Amino acid sequence: MLIFISKRLFQSLFVLFGLSLLIFFIARVMPGDPARAALGFLATEQQVEQLREEMHLNDSFPVQYYYWLRNLLHGDLGRSSYTRRPVTADLRQYIPATFELILFATLISAVVGQVTGVLAGYFRNSWFDGVSRLISYLGIATPSFVVAIFLLFIFSQVLRLAPGVGRLPIMITPPEAVTGFITIDSLLAGRPDLALTALKHMILPAISLSVIHIAQEGRITRTSIVENMQKDYITIHKVHGIRTSRLVFKYLLKPSIIPTVTVMGLDFAFLMSNAFLVEMVYMWPGFSRYAVTAMLNKDLNAIVAVVLVIGLTFALVNLLVDIIIMGLDPTARLRRGGG
Amino acid sequence: MKARVLTLFVAGLMLTGLVTLAAADNVVVINGYPVITADPATASDWYDTETMYNLYSPLVYPAPEGGVRPHLATGWEAVGGDVTHWRFTLRQGVKFHSGNELTAEDVAWSMTRFITMARGNSGPLGQVTAVIVDPYTVDFLLDKPSAIFPETLALFFPVEKDLVLANINPSGNYGDLGDYGEDWLATHDAGTGPYMMTSHIPGQRLEAVRFIDYFEGWSDEGWGPDEVPIERLVFIMETDYTTLMTLLRSGDLDLEINGGWTLPQLQQIQADENLGLVGVWAQNVTVWMNSKVPPTDDEHFRKAILYAFDYEGIVGPWAQFGNGETGIFLPNMPGYVPIEPQPRAQNLERARQELALSKYAKNLSDVTVAFHFCGGLDFEEEIGLQLQADMAQLGVTVEVAGPPWPQYSASCSSPETTPNMTIFLFGPQAAPTHDYYTYSMFHPRGLGWIFQAHWFFEDPEIVRLLEETRAETDPAARLALYEEVQPMIADHALAFYPYQKPTLFAHQAYIVGPKETIVFIGPSENMHLWRINLSLKEQLRGG
Repeated sequence: MLIFISKRLFQSLFVLFGLSLLIFFIARVMPGDPARAALGFLATEQQVEQLREEMHLNDSFPVQYYYWLRNLLHGDLGRSSYTRRPVTADLRQYIPATFELILFATLISAVVGQVTGVLAGYFRNSWFDGVSRLISYLGIATPSFVVAIFLLFIFSQVLRLAPGVGRLPIMITPPEAVTGFITIDSLLAGRPDLALTALKHMILPAISLSVIHIAQEGRITRTSIVENMQKDYITIHKVHGIRTSRLVFKYLLKPSIIPTVTVMGLDFAFLMSNAFLVEMVYMWPGFSRYAVTAMLNKDLNAIVAVVLVIGLTFALVNLLVDIIIMGLDPTARLRRGGG
Repeated sequence: MKARVLTLFVAGLMLTGLVTLAAADNVVVINGYPVITADPATASDWYDTETMYNLYSPLVYPAPEGGVRPHLATGWEAVGGDVTHWRFTLRQGVKFHSGNELTAEDVAWSMTRFITMARGNSGPLGQVTAVIVDPYTVDFLLDKPSAIFPETLALFFPVEKDLVLANINPSGNYGDLGDYGEDWLATHDAGTGPYMMTSHIPGQRLEAVRFIDYFEGWSDEGWGPDEVPIERLVFIMETDYTTLMTLLRSGDLDLEINGGWTLPQLQQIQADENLGLVGVWAQNVTVWMNSKVPPTDDEHFRKAILYAFDYEGIVGPWAQFGNGETGIFLPNMPGYVPIEPQPRAQNLERARQELALSKYAKNLSDVTVAFHFCGGLDFEEEIGLQLQADMAQLGVTVEVAGPPWPQYSASCSSPETTPNMTIFLFGPQAAPTHDYYTYSMFHPRGLGWIFQAHWFFEDPEIVRLLEETRAETDPAARLALYEEVQPMIADHALAFYPYQKPTLFAHQAYIVGPKETIVFIGPSENMHLWRINLSLKEQLRGG
């Protein structure tokens, strides 16, 4: 297993290197002057030129890449021209906000998606299957920002059952950022009440993000359950009179969620970069929003860092998914030499 | 009997602390654009300036009547009449938020830091050397003569030297001075302003509390009996106006100072008796016409555009919110001179006459005018489409396109790449404002780029007059020069000005201010000039 993980991590390094080269080049050929953007409107041409020199923007592309790579090896991703802070400081601030939210969203989609998928598959062609199919199609067809606006309006504005925007109520000063996860930081600050409030604030944006994934994962699980139910070993178990709950949870669920786990992993990584609109609606100060701001402001160092973080997330999540699948499916272990 | 029992019950609950009569919180939630740095040496945009005027104090303060008035400095003079050598006398007894007194050492060190770092708003100052004369007097030696130097200091905010030195990051670019305190000042303050920063999450949230020892004091003179100073400020930084509207109507937002509202939103705010709108400064909607590319290289062709545009059609429903005629200066600036066309209305007959005089008169059908706006700004696109319709009546094709900002602004880096027409919003964000709208935009050594996308510098008389404005020390005589130069610039039809776009601050009815109208971005957002009516807040919100 360790060899497998090491091999995959080593391969990921090559992928990230290629990705960095590509995005480094694309970011630099995009129109716009990052030095001007960094200095603001009133900067003189002389000041702009001075900063271009400092940022090595007048050097050739390979030279610029060399400087960037050299700094990266020292843990320095450069300074953001938009926020005027080290990019690492920005990432430390924004990644946990999105990570916490999408973890919660993934949890919701995993639980609800699996349960509806299993039930719909087991009771296929029943009224439950029909209703869940209809809701799934609706969920897949509705963009998450529409769900976000709808939920915010109904549950926060009209019914007042859920809090509105932000990670905490506006008047509350956030706890000191230790992990960046506001629930954990609240607990660390000895404020469980704040952690609970933060959790409540996550409900609507997390549901908004998870609806489409609940629908997708539910459908995939259903199909998988239906497929596995046709298998001989299930028929034998049924003939032997094994209880339904045992049949489902011990023999049916494990092989049936393998495709769903793969999709779930991809969904998680996808959300990292695509939660932008939901973050906008809920005033969520997250990574996705930061990424879009970086793009719009031609913030070179931030753009490269953002793409690398997304690439790294995909690589790590895929690795994790493979490990989980190897745990679930012995044949996968054998195929990958995991023993 | 029932009422008495109920009263006793409530009184009992209050005694046990289960129910409290809510007193209105003296906190104001303000939405501003994302403030990233709170360092006065690197703050460069108007959003940053809004924060600066709350946490710091400039050396001089923009005055409602134009020019500047004493603030941290009580007086200044050009030593021996030499406008390369300025002496400033500092106010005594000004306290930093730490409790230490501001001295010439702090001011001189802050100026050296401002110039050395060469970021933010230091560009217009040139090279400045600061010399301490005595604890309350500082000299500034300039690399070039400038009669307007004192006015440029409305964007110079001194910091507390010792406090910043104690917090430098040694790994910066400034030798022994490390990062010159840049990282620390991004999230801390070392100022003398009316509010003290208590926390700052860059780009998200900034909190500040009232500084009781603020040197201008907190006099109640001129305020109503229930209007008290605001104790705590919470700046949030949201750019989505649908969300902001929700927050405003739910009472979670007290004041919005960026004014990006849509027309229906403004109408909703106007109709709500618990909300109010106030406009202090506006932005000049400016459409540059590139004088170096055909067909806008022809002055008559440019004039035809001025007369063909339907000003009344575009202002229409916005007029009630203060959108209206503007010129090279904003109409509420001292020295404003109305420019052609007068009256501000479409005149197709005059436009045809101008077209007939242009070198393109004989082949109008072959002529295409490129009108570019910043992608995503609907009101700019509307102006382009209006012009397209208007010019079509004269047989001229206008192509309207909205590239994204990086591409759009980059295209204005040279005359050859600048489209025929480009549209920008210029708010009064640079000091001094009069110089910003004239010298910076029409002198060959102006700000360049998007500020001069007309690329016309051939009139020596304009150049001479603009240079005189920077050499004239008497403010009244300088204002007369500005009045003289405006029609001369307008005569070349380098821009047309569809309207001024007021920045409307939306606020809850219990928020009062600003106490004075200063046509400059920053001072109006200084919360020292605003108050909160707690009785009214309690009445409207119940606490």
